[in-house]
Amino acid sequence: MALFSVLQTTFLLASLSLRTYQTEVWSEPLPWAPESLKVSINSTRQCLHLQWSVHNLAYHQELKMVFQIEISRIKTSNVIWVEDYSTTVKWNQVLHWSWESKLPLECAKHFLRMRSAVDDAKTPEQRFWSNWSSWEEVDVQNSLGHEPLFVFPKDKLVEEGSNVTICYVSRSQQNNISCYLEGVRMQGEQLGPNVSMFNLNHVAFIRETGTNIYCKVDQGDVIKGVVLFVSKVLEEPKDFSCETQDLTTLNCTWDPGRDTGLLKQLSQSYTLFESFSGKKILCKHKSWCSWQVAPESQETYNFTLTAENNLRKRSVYLLFNLTHRVHPKAPFNVLFKNVSATNATMTWKVHTIGNYYTLLCQVDLYGEGKVTQHNISVRVDGEHLFGGLEPDTQYMAQVRCANANRFWKWSEWTCQNFTTAEAAPSEAPDVWRNVKSAQGDCVVTLFWKPLLKLQANGKILFYNIVIENLDRSSISKLLSIPAPANGTEVILDQCLYQIHVTANNSVGTSPASVIIVSGDPGNTEVEEERVKGTEDGFSLSWKPQPRNVTGYIVDWCDHPRDPLCDLQWKNLGPNTTSTVVSSGAFRPGVRYNFRIYGISTERVPYLLEKKTGYSQELAPSDNPQVVMSNLTSHSFTLSWKDYSTESQPSFIQGYHVYLKSKAGQCHSGWEKAVLSDDAVCCKYKIDNPKQKTFVVENLQPESFYEFLVTPYTSVGEGPHGAFTKVTTPDEYSPILIRIILPMVFCILLITIICYLKSQWMKEKCYPDIPDPYKSSVLSLIKSKENPRLTIMNIKDCVPDSIEVLNKQEGTRKSLTETESTKPTYLYLLPTETSYSGPEPCICFENFTYNQAASDSASCGHVPVPPKAPPSQLGLLTSPENLLKSLEKNYMNSLGEIPAGETSLNYVSQLASPMSGDKSSLPTNPPEPALCSEYKMQMAIPLGLASAPSSGSSSFSSITLLDEGEHYH
Amino acid sequence: IYCGAPFCLLTLLLPPHSPGAPISPAEPISQAYSLALYMQKNTSTLLQTYLQYQGSPFSDPGFSAPELQLSSLPPAAVSFKTWHALDDGERLGHAQGAFLALTQHLQLVGDDQRDLNPGSPILLTQLGAARLRAQGLLGNMAAIMTALGLPIPPEEDTLGVVPFGASAFERKCRGYVVTREYGHWTDRAVRDLALLKAKYPG
Repeated sequence: MALFSVLQTTFLLASLSLRTYQTEVWSEPLPWAPESLKVSINSTRQCLHLQWSVHNLAYHQELKMVFQIEISRIKTSNVIWVEDYSTTVKWNQVLHWSWESKLPLECAKHFLRMRSAVDDAKTPEQRFWSNWSSWEEVDVQNSLGHEPLFVFPKDKLVEEGSNVTICYVSRSQQNNISCYLEGVRMQGEQLGPNVSMFNLNHVAFIRETGTNIYCKVDQGDVIKGVVLFVSKVLEEPKDFSCETQDLTTLNCTWDPGRDTGLLKQLSQSYTLFESFSGKKILCKHKSWCSWQVAPESQETYNFTLTAENNLRKRSVYLLFNLTHRVHPKAPFNVLFKNVSATNATMTWKVHTIGNYYTLLCQVDLYGEGKVTQHNISVRVDGEHLFGGLEPDTQYMAQVRCANANRFWKWSEWTCQNFTTAEAAPSEAPDVWRNVKSAQGDCVVTLFWKPLLKLQANGKILFYNIVIENLDRSSISKLLSIPAPANGTEVILDQCLYQIHVTANNSVGTSPASVIIVSGDPGNTEVEEERVKGTEDGFSLSWKPQPRNVTGYIVDWCDHPRDPLCDLQWKNLGPNTTSTVVSSGAFRPGVRYNFRIYGISTERVPYLLEKKTGYSQELAPSDNPQVVMSNLTSHSFTLSWKDYSTESQPSFIQGYHVYLKSKAGQCHSGWEKAVLSDDAVCCKYKIDNPKQKTFVVENLQPESFYEFLVTPYTSVGEGPHGAFTKVTTPDEYSPILIRIILPMVFCILLITIICYLKSQWMKEKCYPDIPDPYKSSVLSLIKSKENPRLTIMNIKDCVPDSIEVLNKQEGTRKSLTETESTKPTYLYLLPTETSYSGPEPCICFENFTYNQAASDSASCGHVPVPPKAPPSQLGLLTSPENLLKSLEKNYMNSLGEIPAGETSLNYVSQLASPMSGDKSSLPTNPPEPALCSEYKMQMAIPLGLASAPSSGSSSFSSITLLDEGEHYH
Repeated sequence: IYCGAPFCLLTLLLPPHSPGAPISPAEPISQAYSLALYMQKNTSTLLQTYLQYQGSPFSDPGFSAPELQLSSLPPAAVSFKTWHALDDGERLGHAQGAFLALTQHLQLVGDDQRDLNPGSPILLTQLGAARLRAQGLLGNMAAIMTALGLPIPPEEDTLGVVPFGASAFERKCRGYVVTREYGHWTDRAVRDLALLKAKYPG
């Protein structure tokens, strides 16, 4: 203290002497010691902040001084930092100095002292240090509070890769505290009884939200920690560039580089500073900024872009002339005018930049796979004429502009499409035909390929076909086929025709394609030749033609199995004699037929060669349907006539006949074969694919055989599917059949004849009522001339009774009612007298009876006096015949008969009364005569009997009567 | 009933309030009980979501620090005897006070997390939803107290002066305590309301 007062006194004296002898003061160095030292702490930044002043400086005096600062930790003797701080000191100035501690200041006491020296050039030799100031102690621990544990530093922000020191201060006396970095225990270093520190080297970035470091007391739940925010190193902005579109706003852009990985509040900011104007703006975006160009047309700009965060500051510079950084806006209002088939004029506008700027515009035209480029100088309006365009084609034009005076950048493109107008088709369609002959006519199917876009020059609307008869050239026919048809069919007579085909669009007509169709389809027999196809197609070649040929055409069907067939053709030049036909439609296992035509100078196609082949042959998928015939005990015949060799998936080379038998022996010509199922059988090979019958011989009678016919080809044979089973018959059965069958047939024939002629047979062989005249007995008698045996004459018979039945039907009654007033009478002939005769038989005589029927239609027996003389009555061979005759007669003469319907029943007295089927029988049938063996009854309708003059009278009845007369 | 949004729940469960008219306590008790049960289902999810976003040690499996408390937030833990001895008014009063504090703390935690975890909208949404539900329960409890004729304690600023200078780690701890106590207080409210429900059957 005494020393201090002495010093002070000396200092005061010195000051006084300074004022008095100023020139001497400058020459005499004096130690201006630092005074009024104050130490403060910035806990966030872990900084010790020192401020002091230097007294005894004259007013306006400036002195270069060096201050040496010493920092000790924990105790004063432990100096950890010495620094010389040089500065110019002014009068009454408060000096500041900061020091950032690596160890958090809260964890240890720090001591600080300083001394000074004059470091002026004027007095270089006079350099002495002042005395040290006293130690200033910095102890934050006391102000921490009473919590049991503290961890420092709080919320520190560091760069990735830097070293950080963490420490804790514990209030408890126990040292059982462990600290963790993201769950991993850290090894520390004890600083004091309750203080430990942890050095973290090269800290890594873990996450944006920071790295947790925490400590806890082992016994207890006290947890304290800090969050360390680790930032990635801030990068310098890249590609910093400024440009203007309109000379009023500068747009500056840059690439900020990788993200620092900090929370938004900690991340970097960007500022833009222009040194000529001294203006500075804070950019709102991370990668671009707008700068308003000053109206006083500053030409040169010097920009500094600064990226800055809490840890680092990065700057880039850019010096440029504004007019050299003009990036025009994209042109606008792009239009096309006067668009024709081959020309179009394009116009556009540009945004003006100042008054004296000329823009260079680049115009690109895309179309038909080509690009053309033109450069045009533009002030306000641009115009360019495109020539040599294709008709009916869509083009895309685009334009961009740049400053013509000083090129910087092209503007964005502005695109616009346009389509040229249509023009008449430029090429004739490629036409081909297929000629078929049908019923004397020539059916010509015309095909044409659609024109290429370049040839069509627009949308083809229709095809015109002119058919010109070359024989009678005046007659020609015009057909118009609407697009998109690619063919048509015309029917021509057998004449020579010339066909012109043209394609038409809205503008005009194409040149004509001419083809001559001769009436003769020209199917000259041309040998079909086989070709082998590959995956790539069919290689075809033909003989060159000696006569004049203008070209060749090869045609084929893409889908030969379809009815439409999809005819294709290929035009080839006159010097060509081979080609490869390939098509995506070719499939394996399909036979394709190719026809090669030569086109004569008269444009007449004539068939030169035919080729057929497969792009790939496939084994047959199925076997022929075999019909077996002529089965004998030793052979049978197989036939597969329906099998089409043409429609198989490969060329049929022949057939294999497989025969399985129990014997297992193969005859000559056959060979043994083992099938896939290990069955052994005999195989016969038929080499000729056209041979479709085969006789299997040398078989055993009454044996079981199985056979299979399968085609074979170069790629294999058909499937060994189901065998057909056959059993040969025994040797004799065919002979037996030969005898038995005709016999059965004969018997059947006789039976049928007998059945058909049964009536005749019955009559001939076993009539119901034998006719004695017809009987062979008679002839026998006659031959034997036996006088004793005679045939009974009807005259000799006395009639017994006759029954007439009258039947009326309701439906017909109304018609005949008025006229049928008279009842039918039945005449009963007395029989008593007839017994007088010796003959034991009874005959009845013909008599006329009235047919008038009563309404009651009673069929009762009415006695009739024998007024009417008995008419002649022929002996009828059959009562049924008679009845039929009568009926027929009746039906014929119904209209003439005035009476009601009358039925006549003949009742055989031998027969049962129920045997009559045509009408009801009398309720009281006549008693059969006791002695009668045969009775015949007969009735003839009155009308018939009395008035046979009717034209429609029954022929049979007349015949009957005639017969009766004859027999009489 | 879950309407998908906490606002919906709020409007559903806030009872129609007509002062003066005597209301049966059974209905507001039942409504509050339903809400408390619903909240109970989501409290552990909230806590787990919260911890998951805070990093170690919070996100370590089985993390628990019961010693961590906030002086501004009354702890839910209470001895059964004490709890049982409470009368209805005290029981409801405690819960009312706690949920009032919780709504304010949840707001604070939400703000903290908006700074610390700006890229986690799920957590922020859950915190917001929890706060709204706590407010809803407060309204229900007020209705019960009105129905029972109990005086409603005045709303007070339980948070007091917020230590804005809290470090990031302290804020993480604070959020943990709040979300944890929110769960505990919800559990206790369910018990409180179950007791009341038994006392005032509908």
